[in-house]
Amino acid sequence: MNTLTDRYLAATLRSVPTQRRDEIATELRASIGDMIDDRTSGGADPVTAERDVLTELGNPDLLAARYADRRLQLLGPTYYLVWWRLLKLLLSLIPAIVGTIVTIVKVSEGDGFGAIGPGIVAAMQTGVQIAFWLTLTFVLIDRFQPSTELPDWTVDQLPDVPAHRDISLPETIASVVMLLVTIGYLPFQHYRSWVRDTDGDNIPILDPSLWSFWLPALIVVLAASVVFEIVKYRTGRWTWPLYGAKALLNLAFSVPVVWLALTDRLLNPALGERLSWLAEADNRDVLGATIAVGVAVIMVWDLIDTALKTRRQTA
Amino acid sequence: MVASLVALRRPDYGYALLQRLTDHGFPVDANTLYPLLRRLEDQGLLTSEWNTEESRPRKFYRTSDEGESMLSRLLDDLAAVQTSITGLIQGVDR
Repeated sequence: MNTLTDRYLAATLRSVPTQRRDEIATELRASIGDMIDDRTSGGADPVTAERDVLTELGNPDLLAARYADRRLQLLGPTYYLVWWRLLKLLLSLIPAIVGTIVTIVKVSEGDGFGAIGPGIVAAMQTGVQIAFWLTLTFVLIDRFQPSTELPDWTVDQLPDVPAHRDISLPETIASVVMLLVTIGYLPFQHYRSWVRDTDGDNIPILDPSLWSFWLPALIVVLAASVVFEIVKYRTGRWTWPLYGAKALLNLAFSVPVVWLALTDRLLNPALGERLSWLAEADNRDVLGATIAVGVAVIMVWDLIDTALKTRRQTA
Repeated sequence: MVASLVALRRPDYGYALLQRLTDHGFPVDANTLYPLLRRLEDQGLLTSEWNTEESRPRKFYRTSDEGESMLSRLLDDLAAVQTSITGLIQGVDR
């Protein structure tokens, strides 16, 4: 016999405790028979009736779980909140620590920038491991110790009301990422630009002689701007001291850039060898002036915009 | 569950009980009722015996003494809820 009913019974009984299997099978078969008879006596086709009845009874695994009084959830409400809190706590600390340690070890072995990759991989693996083992532990506790007394919640656990923020986290992260990309681009363009000389060697965009002072100085200013963004986020809103710092940083970056551009010291003179347009002094002056005006406009606009924000948020 | 305990004061088997409950305004899914009867039996609230005289063997359930005392407690609870609701409805100005 391999009717739909037989297959349904087999599927249901597979996960029902053995000692009750036969009895449940007999009763369930009789019940299914009753239900089919009821439908065929109403004029339904037996095959259709059988299909309908089994469809009504639903997924055999679900039925079996109800017979065995088995829970159909991974982690119940008793432990869910504790699990979630612990998971957030562990994930916010341990992967970062492990990643940092691995990076430091790799750097001490002389890997340089290549040490960042293994550090990130180690941090991710640690995160996955923590999530898996913590969840497994809680599921086991939940299955076998469903009545453990957890400490009751008290009002002392209430966190402080979050300070009102005018500066959002995504905004801060975007700014920091932009700054880091800019910092990274300065050395990058020295080794990889899209311009090559006749021998196929790389021509840096910016004048290599700037590395003796101006480019490191600009990198310091950009790094200071990263710190500034973090301080600004911690403060949560624009204040006039923050505005002053911002103005200083803007000037410290843009004034040298404008001056270098106007005096034709920003771009690499070697570019003229490949781009004939740049070989003419007039054109270089026009380009330098364009860069200078562009940087100056952006800086002034940023300062005015920030001043408006500061006045609004300190009001 | 209350409905099953009341209805099974008269012994009955799974599908007949299902139809009886449905007729009396308690539509219940077969895949809920059959396992429920099992569990109530395990808890001693129902007794059962097999009837093999008919065309197919059927398991007849009946509310046990223990089931009766549990039922009277549940009915008291229901009555208390009903009283509270009635009091609330009357207490609220319309």
